[in-house]
Amino acid sequence: MNAVELDQLKKTFQVKQGSGFKRSSKEIVAVDGISLTVPAGQSVAFIGPNGAGKSTTIKMLTGILRPSSGSASVLGFNPWDQRSKLAFQMGVVFGQRSQLWYHLPPRDTFELLAKVYELPPADYKIRRDMLIERFKLSSFLNTPVRKLSLGQRMRAEIAASLLHKPKLVFLDEPTIGLDVIARQELRDLICEWNRDEGVTVFLTSHDAGDIESVAERVIVINHGQVVLDGSVGEMRRDYLSAKLLTVAFHDRPASFDVNGAKIIERTDHSCKLELDTSVSPVSVVVPQIMQLGEVADITIEDPPLEDVIAHIYSSKHSPQQRY
Amino acid sequence: MNAIKKYFFVAWIAMRSNLAYFSEVSGRLIFLGVVLFIFLRLWQVTFGENGAKTLGGLTLAQMLWYLTVTEAIILSSPPVARLVDQDVRTGALSVQLTRPLYYPFFCLFTNLGERFLRFFLNLAVGSVIAYIFVGPINFRADGLALFLLSVPLAFTLDFSVNFLIGLGAFWLEDTAGLTLIYSRILMIFGGMLIPIELFPEWLQPAVKWLPFSSVVYGPAHLFVKPDLAEFALLLLRQTSALLVIGIAVYWVFQTAMRRVFVNGG
Repeated sequence: MNAVELDQLKKTFQVKQGSGFKRSSKEIVAVDGISLTVPAGQSVAFIGPNGAGKSTTIKMLTGILRPSSGSASVLGFNPWDQRSKLAFQMGVVFGQRSQLWYHLPPRDTFELLAKVYELPPADYKIRRDMLIERFKLSSFLNTPVRKLSLGQRMRAEIAASLLHKPKLVFLDEPTIGLDVIARQELRDLICEWNRDEGVTVFLTSHDAGDIESVAERVIVINHGQVVLDGSVGEMRRDYLSAKLLTVAFHDRPASFDVNGAKIIERTDHSCKLELDTSVSPVSVVVPQIMQLGEVADITIEDPPLEDVIAHIYSSKHSPQQRY
Repeated sequence: MNAIKKYFFVAWIAMRSNLAYFSEVSGRLIFLGVVLFIFLRLWQVTFGENGAKTLGGLTLAQMLWYLTVTEAIILSSPPVARLVDQDVRTGALSVQLTRPLYYPFFCLFTNLGERFLRFFLNLAVGSVIAYIFVGPINFRADGLALFLLSVPLAFTLDFSVNFLIGLGAFWLEDTAGLTLIYSRILMIFGGMLIPIELFPEWLQPAVKWLPFSSVVYGPAHLFVKPDLAEFALLLLRQTSALLVIGIAVYWVFQTAMRRVFVNGG
């Protein structure tokens, strides 16, 4: 079964420009015919630069917004006509907006959500206790949310969104503002939940680490269209044929000049090269390096995912004017 | 059944959450004391000048108790319009909409939870002050019951108007002005400062049928002068006003939901 099916989803907004009598209306295409399918249980990163149409798409998927044209099915429901039915099976976390009551401990919000989602009391208790244990909430469960650290708060937020056993969770920048450890913990928890409960995860994030550690599949959208859809590995391979080579020598080579490679950094004994493998494959470049001197160490790596993403964002489709 | 229970739980949580604003609450209570003292002085002079035993059918003691209740009602109002306006502008509304809750009802019950807490606190402290100033008036249990029955509808009515103003954020640059206008009209035509019996004769029927008096004057007058016929009439006024405004809220909310959600996130 598919958790999400989108067919030619499109959304346009009318935006007023100018002032006084010169006001004119202009149509802006936020989402321009997106079609995609997400099987149940998959974890998907949905990424794109600011203004690409991510939020608009998510708002349509959660039923808040009605598309201008096209159709969607989320967990078998039409999101905008059956929003309240869909709401019972879907969890939503917005990293920048809290659903926890600020002056009350997380326990009270959990209690309220149990009522809101109409959970039977016995089921709720079991579920809550399990979440408390897995998300390690017990030490601050009775502390007002305003006194929690951001890491604690986000753990509670995500646990709260899982209380009603949603089949699909939308996580919008869940790790924003978190420190390295809290970030990693949260990613692990999301992965664990995706794996063990088969929850379909729909993640948006600007953090390459989130995407790499959580998502099986990456969908990149830009200018309202899907520009890339594939696994993280594929994205690296197909999108950027560049490799980074770091070479260290025992002695001082006369030069570091290698055909088809660009020197990024150099010291007396070592250098860092970037090569475009579509022009000069590794098998051509490495023998050349071997002839420069006695090689002590050599590493070949992919460029960081951030660079890959930046490359994808900046290429394809010339940017049209946005508001 | 579950659907109704969840909204009552929302009210309960809102009430608990509101206890956290203790300094704000106590600040309001001091203000209440000062206001009641000024009113006492004012009406003492008015009664003295006229040499009258009653004004608008109320004795001095009843007048002060009446004002205690109207103040308790007015001062208990949470800033609904501002909160809704913020939800709309910041996009926080979109979070609310992803849950199986009807946003207007969620706001209503949050409002009622907070408001009843504030109202009973105001009333308790106000009663102590009024008791010290003018002593007790004739309280009857059935009278108090009528009064208590009229309060929830009064609050719901007041909420609905404020909620409607808050939804204005979908179309307007700023709704604070409208809120201010409404709150002043509520104070004057609602009968917060003077009971409607002291208004010009020709104005009284109109003012009584306007929704503002059903929020403030109606319950407060029942409190000092319980009367079954008056209660029935008030109930009729409240429900009819609520019906009209309720339909307006429903319609405006439906329309607003179809409007742009470009705000935020």
